[in-house]
Amino acid sequence: MSADAVVIGAGLAGLTAAIRLAEGGLSTTLVAKGVGATHLAPASIDVLGYAPALVESPARALPAFTDERPDHPYARLSPRIVAASMDWLRERVPAISYTGSLDENLLVPTAVGVAKPTALVPEAMAGGDLRAGGRFAFVGLRALKDFYPAYLAENLSQAKLPSGAAVEARAVELRDPGDEADVNPLGYARQFEEPGFRKAVASELLSRVEPGEAVGFPATLGLDNHRTVWRELQDLLERPVFEVPTLPPSVPGIRLFRALRERFRQAGGRLVMGPTVVGADTRDVVVERVVVQAAAARPATHEARWFVLATGGFAAGAIHLDSHGEVWESVFGLPVAGAPGAEPRFLPRYLDDHPMARAGLAVDEVLRPIDARGRPALENLFACGAVLGGAEPWREQSGNGLALSTGFAAASHILERVS
Amino acid sequence: MDAMEWVRGSLDHCVKCTICETFCPVSNVTPLFPGPKYVGPQLERFRTGNGSPDASLDYCSGCGICTTVCPQGVKIAEINAKARAGMKAERGVPVRDRIIARPSVMGKVGTPVAPIANWFLQNTLVRRLVERTLRIHRSAPMPPFAGWTFRSWVRRHRPPASAERAVVYFHGCSTNYFEPRVGRMAVEVLEHNGFRVVVPRQECCGLPLQSNGLFDDARRYVHRLVRSLVPFARRGYDIVATSTSCGLMLKREAREILDLEDDEDLRTVSAHTYDVCEFLLMLHERGELKTDFKPVPMTMPYHAPCQQRGHGIGRPAVDLFALIPELEVVETDIECCGIAGTYGLKSEKYDIAMAVGAPLFRQVRETASEVAACDSETCRWQITSATGIPSVHPVEVLHRAYGLGE
Amino acid sequence: MATLQADVLVIGGGSTGVGVARDATMRGLSTVLVDRGDLATGTTGRFHGLLHSGGRYVVKDPKAALECIHENRVLREIAADCIEDTGGLFVTTPIDDPAYADRFVEGCRGADVPVEEIPVAEAIRREPRLNPRITRAFIVPDASVDSWKTVWGCARSAMAYGAKILPYHEVLRLVVEDSAVKGAVVEDHRGGEEMEIHADLVVNAAGAWAGRIAAMAGCEVTILPGKGIMIAMNHRLVNTVVNRCEMPADGDIIVPIRTVSVIGTTDEKVADPDDWDITRDEVQKMLDAGENLVPGFREARALRVWGGVRPLFQEKAEGTDTRDVTRAHTLLNHRTRDGLERFLTITGGKFCTFRLMAEDTVDVLCAELGVDRACRTAHEPLPDSEDRRFYWLGARVAAREENLHRDQLICECEMIPRRRLEEAMSRRATTDLDDIRRTVRLGMGPCQGGFCIYRATGILHQVQRIPALAANGSLLDFLQERWKGVQPILYGDQLRQARLDDWIFQGLLDVGHLPV
Repeated sequence: MSADAVVIGAGLAGLTAAIRLAEGGLSTTLVAKGVGATHLAPASIDVLGYAPALVESPARALPAFTDERPDHPYARLSPRIVAASMDWLRERVPAISYTGSLDENLLVPTAVGVAKPTALVPEAMAGGDLRAGGRFAFVGLRALKDFYPAYLAENLSQAKLPSGAAVEARAVELRDPGDEADVNPLGYARQFEEPGFRKAVASELLSRVEPGEAVGFPATLGLDNHRTVWRELQDLLERPVFEVPTLPPSVPGIRLFRALRERFRQAGGRLVMGPTVVGADTRDVVVERVVVQAAAARPATHEARWFVLATGGFAAGAIHLDSHGEVWESVFGLPVAGAPGAEPRFLPRYLDDHPMARAGLAVDEVLRPIDARGRPALENLFACGAVLGGAEPWREQSGNGLALSTGFAAASHILERVS
Repeated sequence: MDAMEWVRGSLDHCVKCTICETFCPVSNVTPLFPGPKYVGPQLERFRTGNGSPDASLDYCSGCGICTTVCPQGVKIAEINAKARAGMKAERGVPVRDRIIARPSVMGKVGTPVAPIANWFLQNTLVRRLVERTLRIHRSAPMPPFAGWTFRSWVRRHRPPASAERAVVYFHGCSTNYFEPRVGRMAVEVLEHNGFRVVVPRQECCGLPLQSNGLFDDARRYVHRLVRSLVPFARRGYDIVATSTSCGLMLKREAREILDLEDDEDLRTVSAHTYDVCEFLLMLHERGELKTDFKPVPMTMPYHAPCQQRGHGIGRPAVDLFALIPELEVVETDIECCGIAGTYGLKSEKYDIAMAVGAPLFRQVRETASEVAACDSETCRWQITSATGIPSVHPVEVLHRAYGLGE
Repeated sequence: MATLQADVLVIGGGSTGVGVARDATMRGLSTVLVDRGDLATGTTGRFHGLLHSGGRYVVKDPKAALECIHENRVLREIAADCIEDTGGLFVTTPIDDPAYADRFVEGCRGADVPVEEIPVAEAIRREPRLNPRITRAFIVPDASVDSWKTVWGCARSAMAYGAKILPYHEVLRLVVEDSAVKGAVVEDHRGGEEMEIHADLVVNAAGAWAGRIAAMAGCEVTILPGKGIMIAMNHRLVNTVVNRCEMPADGDIIVPIRTVSVIGTTDEKVADPDDWDITRDEVQKMLDAGENLVPGFREARALRVWGGVRPLFQEKAEGTDTRDVTRAHTLLNHRTRDGLERFLTITGGKFCTFRLMAEDTVDVLCAELGVDRACRTAHEPLPDSEDRRFYWLGARVAAREENLHRDQLICECEMIPRRRLEEAMSRRATTDLDDIRRTVRLGMGPCQGGFCIYRATGILHQVQRIPALAANGSLLDFLQERWKGVQPILYGDQLRQARLDDWIFQGLLDVGHLPV
């Protein structure tokens, strides 16, 4: 198959790059061996939360942050591109209705009751903003084992917010209707799409919430019709309602994936899901095609003028560490930067900053992977997302921000070269 | 390492991310099926190769979407298929499953007496009786016999003299006995593009036997079919299939599920097998496809069956439809129509199958101005039975757009 | 200070200790058992789970082999629920001396270990992952045994006969008066209180720590701790115990136990049983050993690595009256050895002969106390083993199948429903998730707690009504314990899992910023 551009990987970085390229007029194929991390992560866009101290304003913190970390992917991006990518996303998925900005992080509760910084949240999460403190009731659903509101509330009530404001949080366990003992977040999302279920939940809650309390649900408030579900609950309860992300599957993440997939299709993109990209044919400094292993016992190829590698990090198997301690990038065999040659690769305490965690691809200022001498081996290959080295997205709370901004930037650099 | 261990060993890649579960069409509509992650990589660690105590495994429809979406490369559907076969070997395979797993036998028996056979298939009393005795649901979309076979048409058909190259056609039993028109149209479309279509002796690929856990029988069928096709494959002929599920069986499923990974002949056949839309799109990308398409002014929902996605080739039918003027295609993006081969025929699974397909049926009813398109025959029968809207193979739309019907 | 009185005080809650406690109480002696930690957290909980047929020892140590096969049969009678009858294979691999096989067969016959040679093709048919280049294969009655279940089975049996079993009670000092040991002072790690236990006789069954306990009574007992590491692989690469047919060497066994297969082990002397590391070289050695038995081992997923310390007893050079029952284990009567009355040390040995070790100990114990009662432990089944049905791997699956819609699966990897978890939490009355892990195997599957530990913490907070801060501590402690076992084998698939788990704990939940 052939196209103008091939993007490898269907996480947030890959989808962002692919949509941007397709909207820019390039025929674009997105090849992915499976669904990406959108299904595991909440749809919030965390740009920079800890550096390692709590970051109140990513916009103010980023310059110093990147000065201190010249190998960090953010150091490859111009200051306005991060903001531009966020505006771009907001416009592309209006149904999710993002709110927030780079100027000030929100603080939202995690499922264990930590007040966690994040920059952009879907409107359905915004009611959980803790910056000004407040009173919150967290709802437990009868058959959902992935949410423990009493534990959450007790921890949250002890949270020390930068503003000094107080948070009063408590739990309300519902006896919502149903027979099954074990229902996962997606199962509940489907139930919430039924008006009868919503009414039953709202009526049980109404008798138990107190004045001035905002109500936090586990992130299960609908899937395709989530706006209706969320708005109706707010109307029925007459108070702010918000979602708290919990263990995968992430329903907000699934919503985001579906919305982005639809945008890609509308832009004329072609999605090929299932085959694994196992290699590439290159001539001099140009990638001519990538080779995929699909169902048949023959390799298939995707030819293109431009290639974007958005395959993820260790978690996705894009960067592989074997039992002998060898590290490699699994599609192009690109050199992996930041991988410690010898022990220790990982430190004894779990929450330590492990040397191996920052391993990934080093890139130039237009996000092309570079070798040890700092030169890109291939002139038409760009990389974005978790495959980039130099970041610790979970400790920094920067994962989705990096995916979005580097995916956006990689596509932008390609579009500049095309025109 | 033998293929059994290679499939089983893939469970090591499972990181419990739940992505497969979010896509499983069956576990999303019924709690009777605990989900692909559960019955696949999770429970496989508790199996020693002597069957499995979890009867709920039988509710897996075998659609294979889990394997397609798994980001870690776990062969979930294949693990399930083998576990289920092991379980059925232990508990016994019902007569019903042995019957519906042999469409070619049903076809041979029913074709000479098609009008009567079809009458019986439509008769409510007969269907109720069949439901009570064999447990095939009375409303299950059993396809009518065409009364003539595709192979009989092939015998009478004279290929055009001007053909410059040849391609082999693997038609499958459904085309032969139930939808010979699809085979005829596929041949005419290929001939229109300068091919002589070779139709070797061939029988059922064994897919329904495999999905019903009758692995030894399935292997015999595969070997027999491969024996017919491999001489052509070795000489470099490409093999096109219009039945997307049978094509996948030859490409991959027989190797992985029936432990035939080391079968050289099967590998050779697999390396030369193409889904017909995949083949035509490949021609187009080389500039070799005739694009003299007349307008087909209609809005047509297209359902990419789960088996089609298992090919990992994207949706070539959609790319081909884009070449036809005035044709508005609506991609349904629903995971599964519910039938999953023979699954939705069974009385204990019929309601599940209908619940799985309900969103698709709704979309088809809302968007089809004339017909719906789908690459798999069993899905076509399911969609038509549920919605009343006729369903066609994509190659039929191309045939019409080429004006070959006139 | 609180006091307790008993006929017998047993120090050490491993297999030997609980075996002694059970035997003693069955013979009518009131017994208290103490261990500084949870039961079976010493060597007993850290071996590979092999119930020896004795085949391993038939050439090198025939007496030990005889003991093994005898006890193998006894344990199958009394502890069936703890044992999975996997059977065993001895195979001559490409790196083994082919001549050993004949000596092996001869040794088995001499030691009464049932052995049958099978064609190599048959061995590979049974175990498709086995190295296809093996040259000979023999079947023996090896099995895999769950040591925690066994230890807790003995403990429950002892409790049913009236024993007091006290985990988390550490011996601070022994009470010695008039050249006799009269008891011990212990500290309860849970509550912090001290307690004095008076006993007519004290049994030192402290395994690798026996030297320390003996020293408290002024006796010199030299234990040389022999560290060995084992790696659990994510799934059963083999369903039969596979041994190299060769003199005992490092990494010569793979044991299928529960849902994993374990490769082991190494042997390295360490100075202190509480202070040692798992080194990269040891890990690589085990992976190479695995590759020799199962090609492709290095591509398979390693789940967890741990080490145990063998208690190797070194006899004193000058004339002493150590009572070696066999060379396999050693029972020291300190009256004859050191002039100290009412104090016995039982040391050495291996898990599969624990019952015999206990019998020998309690025989001597009874003689010292002037009690004349016979041992019945070989005849009475442990709780849950009364029906003499072996453990079956599919048991948890079958149980869940009965209950698919009526209970939640909290630990999905190991199939632990919520009710079971809550019951274990209440019964153990513990806030330590690691205790629960040992009891029900929480977090011991592929995800190593990635999904279930958050759930278990929430349930712990609810069921045990503990403050959130305590629950946070439990959660973080569990993550640290789990990390210890994963960090040295973090590569390939397990690294992918670890990164996903990091996403969950650090990215999604942000546990690094929990109040503690």
